[in-house]
Amino acid sequence: MGKSWWEIQVQCADCLEESMFWRLETFGCEGMVSERKGNTLAVTAYYPQMEAQVLDLAALALSIRQDALCMGQEAPVVTWELIAEQDWSTSWKDKWETTSIGDRFLIHPIWLPEPEAGDRVILRLEPGVAFGTGAHATTQLCLEALEMRLGEDPGSQTIVDVGCGSGILSVGALLLGAKQLYAVDNDPLAIKATKENIELNHLDPARLIVDEGSVETLVKMVPEPVEGIVCNILAHVIVDLIPQWEPMVKPTTWGILSGILLDQAKLVAEALEKHGWFVAALWKRGDWVCLNIRRM
Amino acid sequence: MAKKVVAIIKLAIEAGKANPAPPIGPALGQHGVNIMMFCKDYNARTSDQVGMVVPVEISVFEDRSFTFILKTPPASKLLAKAAGITTGSSDPKKTKVGSITRAQLEEIAKIKMPDLNANDVEMAMRIIQGTANNMGIAISD
Repeated sequence: MGKSWWEIQVQCADCLEESMFWRLETFGCEGMVSERKGNTLAVTAYYPQMEAQVLDLAALALSIRQDALCMGQEAPVVTWELIAEQDWSTSWKDKWETTSIGDRFLIHPIWLPEPEAGDRVILRLEPGVAFGTGAHATTQLCLEALEMRLGEDPGSQTIVDVGCGSGILSVGALLLGAKQLYAVDNDPLAIKATKENIELNHLDPARLIVDEGSVETLVKMVPEPVEGIVCNILAHVIVDLIPQWEPMVKPTTWGILSGILLDQAKLVAEALEKHGWFVAALWKRGDWVCLNIRRM
Repeated sequence: MAKKVVAIIKLAIEAGKANPAPPIGPALGQHGVNIMMFCKDYNARTSDQVGMVVPVEISVFEDRSFTFILKTPPASKLLAKAAGITTGSSDPKKTKVGSITRAQLEEIAKIKMPDLNANDVEMAMRIIQGTANNMGIAISD
């Protein structure tokens, strides 16, 4: 029989968090989890089953209640149950699945069995911590927009990816046949994730130049104006970045922008217009939109 | 990309020693967070504080990616250090195991202020004093 754990749960006033940590640590729990829900706190801690009997847990519950009463708070609700040991280092992966996006893509978390591609392009992904896993509406909208933009003559297209995250959009563009990608992100972990995903998809690293930084870094990286700009960050960040794109654009440059909530679309559209862009199409999914833009 | 937070989880764990065992595994696993990646990053960022408990607040986003920020040490650790004790009292009402001054209490309250749901230092001091009382640490003037 595998190891089991007592999962001890305490519902209490949030001002008891510090006291709760001390009480649980004194009992022998190594660390605790807390989540605020309004003014109450849900605390969870764990203890090996073999080292504590129910009576020990009852005594702990009593101490926790006394601590709360001494601080003038209502008695917390203390419960416990047994949970079986799992391989938590890999169990999180159970939440992930292979996902079809748009007409072309099949997002494949790399630890799952390789799926049947059929007529789809398999985009292999090791997300790490970086944003851009294919599970978010904005990523999906951007990938679908790339499908549209790269439908004809993709081999002539050089694209920049501002805020590349896991590199999912850059890798997706290359898999659709784009000629060259330049990508930046101000998070070094995103750069690392992007490089890993280039390798996982057996792409030539020379076709995706990625570096830590923002638009000023990109401007130095691109040798000439580009065909496309992809930027999936946040509305207010995009608004600030729009003027900085000028050195990279030409009259035929297109853009795919997302990370924008529906009620922020007008704000972004107005900023675009001030800098010679117009919104050719707005795609919506849930609360989010993706703006397909062109030069005026 | 836009980041909509679906969960904010605080973990009080020992610096440099994060691993997939409880509490980290079950806490992050249920949200589909890459546990090993978190452990690696947390351990790297706390490697200079080994031996300390360095709480961390993790924001989990819609697409299961995450960020985290390190928080202030638990009040009980700061109180124990100030009082020069290693363990609290088993019967705090009857047996005091140490004491700190009101000035020390205020200093700890100020350190903890950013992480407490307290409007002012006085309120923070009351919260910290409650923990001190439960540990069997007396407050002297």
